Amino acid sequence: MNAADRPRAGQDRAHGTAVRPAVMAHMIPWFPDRERSFTIARALLDAGVGYLEVQFPYSDPTADGPAIQKACADALDAGFRVADGFEYLERLRAHRDVPIFLMSYAGLVYRRGVAEFVRRAADHGVTGLIVPDLPPGSDEGLYEAAQRYAISAVPVLVVTARQARIDAVAAVRPAYIYAALRSGITGRRTVIDSDSLAFLDRLRPIGAELMAGFGVQSAEQVQALAGHVETVVVGSAFVRVVEDVLSRRPAEAARHTDTLYEAVHAVARELVGS
Amino acid sequence: MQATHSVYHNYFGQFGGRYVAEVLRTPLDLLEEEFAEAMEDPGFQREFDTIADQFVGRPTPLLYAENTTREIGGAQLYIKMEGLAHTGAHKINNAVGQALLARRMGKTRIIAETGAGQHGVATAAVCAKLGLECRVYMGEIDIRRQKPNVFWMQMYGAEVVPVTSGSRTLKDAVNEALRDWAHSFPETHYVIGSALGPSPYPDMVREFQSVVGRETRQQVEAAGLEVAALVACVGGGSNAIGFFAPYLDQPEPRLVGVEAGGTGDQPGRHAARMGGLGTPGIVQGYKSLFLLDEDGQVQPTHSISAGLDYPGIGPQLASLGASGRVEFRRARDQQALDAVGRFARNEGVVFALESAHGGAAALQLAAELPPHQAVVVNMSGRGDKDLFIMAGELDRRAWREFLLSEGDRL
Ligand SMILES: Cc1ncc(COP(=O)(O)O)c(C=O)c1O
Repeated sequence: MNAADRPRAGQDRAHGTAVRPAVMAHMIPWFPDRERSFTIARALLDAGVGYLEVQFPYSDPTADGPAIQKACADALDAGFRVADGFEYLERLRAHRDVPIFLMSYAGLVYRRGVAEFVRRAADHGVTGLIVPDLPPGSDEGLYEAAQRYAISAVPVLVVTARQARIDAVAAVRPAYIYAALRSGITGRRTVIDSDSLAFLDRLRPIGAELMAGFGVQSAEQVQALAGHVETVVVGSAFVRVVEDVLSRRPAEAARHTDTLYEAVHAVARELVGS
Repeated sequence: MQATHSVYHNYFGQFGGRYVAEVLRTPLDLLEEEFAEAMEDPGFQREFDTIADQFVGRPTPLLYAENTTREIGGAQLYIKMEGLAHTGAHKINNAVGQALLARRMGKTRIIAETGAGQHGVATAAVCAKLGLECRVYMGEIDIRRQKPNVFWMQMYGAEVVPVTSGSRTLKDAVNEALRDWAHSFPETHYVIGSALGPSPYPDMVREFQSVVGRETRQQVEAAGLEVAALVACVGGGSNAIGFFAPYLDQPEPRLVGVEAGGTGDQPGRHAARMGGLGTPGIVQGYKSLFLLDEDGQVQPTHSISAGLDYPGIGPQLASLGASGRVEFRRARDQQALDAVGRFARNEGVVFALESAHGGAAALQLAAELPPHQAVVVNMSGRGDKDLFIMAGELDRRAWREFLLSEGDRL
């Protein structure tokens, strides 16, 4: 489904029925290893998530909390390479054709040239790129390259952003905005209150599809955002489900990928609300 | 490129900048403004000078290494005794400057990362003096290597938090501190310990460390020396850039930065980013030369000294290396150890292992240059903290026996 085909959160609200936002599920290839990370992706897709945010693991993920950082370290230990990551995206798309947002850090994106990275992402069918440490204004050509290769570079805005910053980000005319619901790093739970909603409504006039995340873990939080955003991003919550399965039932998890599949699927279904 | 103030560059040639997630934009913007204002404020300068005088123990002496000079028979070798500064290294200059800035901004809490522990000890001491709460992030491996400094930080009332992620050394401590700051900045200032990180840190740390260079310049001029070269070790680059600062805009003297050659040139065995081993990258908020693999993942490093094994170099030094104004050399672990012993026996001075990398290169340079010229090496730190490493190197068996007997006694 394209951004253009999807109903707008604002429009739904006008009809008085706040439609539950789509879920963008975050996952990390090669966490905990190549095959099981594919099992996790299958579980998420089968549960009906609207988008996948695929994070290419990086050695120094400074904007991520302990859960995602450790998962990235495990993925690197399991042998993840950037070239594998792009192949993996193809495999995901063959399983189900949902839009994929590729998230990573400047460290990987800049290494062989930002434009080259963007071109590879476009070649592998990526819908959008999220690179938190290449923000508009310090983006090393990310936004220009994204336009050239017809994919979306997705800027982040934080709930504490000053209006001048919101305006500067609006000026790059983004198709999507990743709205961080609190300052800090990923992983800690966020209370969605009137401040969060007021922030999201301030972003509405930009006309971008809003993806809200940072500390969203429950169906209630997803519901609380209905009518204010098109998409809710859930990240650390899935990493924790996986960690839980691996630690509590290591022998079982090793034998049956089913255990992992079912645990992730159940949590995703609840969030998706299907 | 912004240039709101003569001390604020942001970019140095192609290096530097501020590549951070949105959460860190506000604290860095505010820091940039405050830094620029403070540098123009004579009151701030006076505060800094008073503490430098009474607490840090400035000026630190310039010592003529007479016996070593005679032994070599080349250029006169001088040692800037920065290790005599309070808490044992140049790190205190920057800690004082940033803590004063934090107080000016109304912050009540300080966080810092530390590798060798010298920056942590300096920050902890300054926080004790200024009445600020202090937390120091330190990699688990560095905690083991530099245990004495952990005790000192705790003695000053700081909380030392072990970092168990990644390589469990300095860069991982930086990551942890950045994570803390991303939500704590309303009341917290992050004191980075070297001339790196997102702007304005590289400019700010250079300014606070340039007191070393200014003093040295006065001292060599007063002594009427013809200085051929200034030599400093380079981890992130704060002691080097501070030492070189007054000479950057002129072609002379030679400025020589010395990196950790470790045990060899293979990946993982050294921490030398210059001289072709590093690649341009964006890591921890700034663009510079880093030790990276083909994908851009940060590579493991090695050095006998905990303060030099950081995989990146400060952006201004990377730029000065590219322009040729600063030359870079490497000293291997063993050369640094040898230099510690030689200066101790000849001059009665024990270099920190970090500084001894500079010392080793200075010994070589002095031998290459004529007697009417002088080579000045910055002894950025004294070696007390390295007791546990040095004693083991000197006589492993005797040291082991001593440690075991102490253990029994407890
Ligand atoms: C004594 C000493 N010298 C040098 C360094 C390296 O840092 P820089 O390159 O920033 O001076 C350290 C770092 O911990 C140190 O303790």
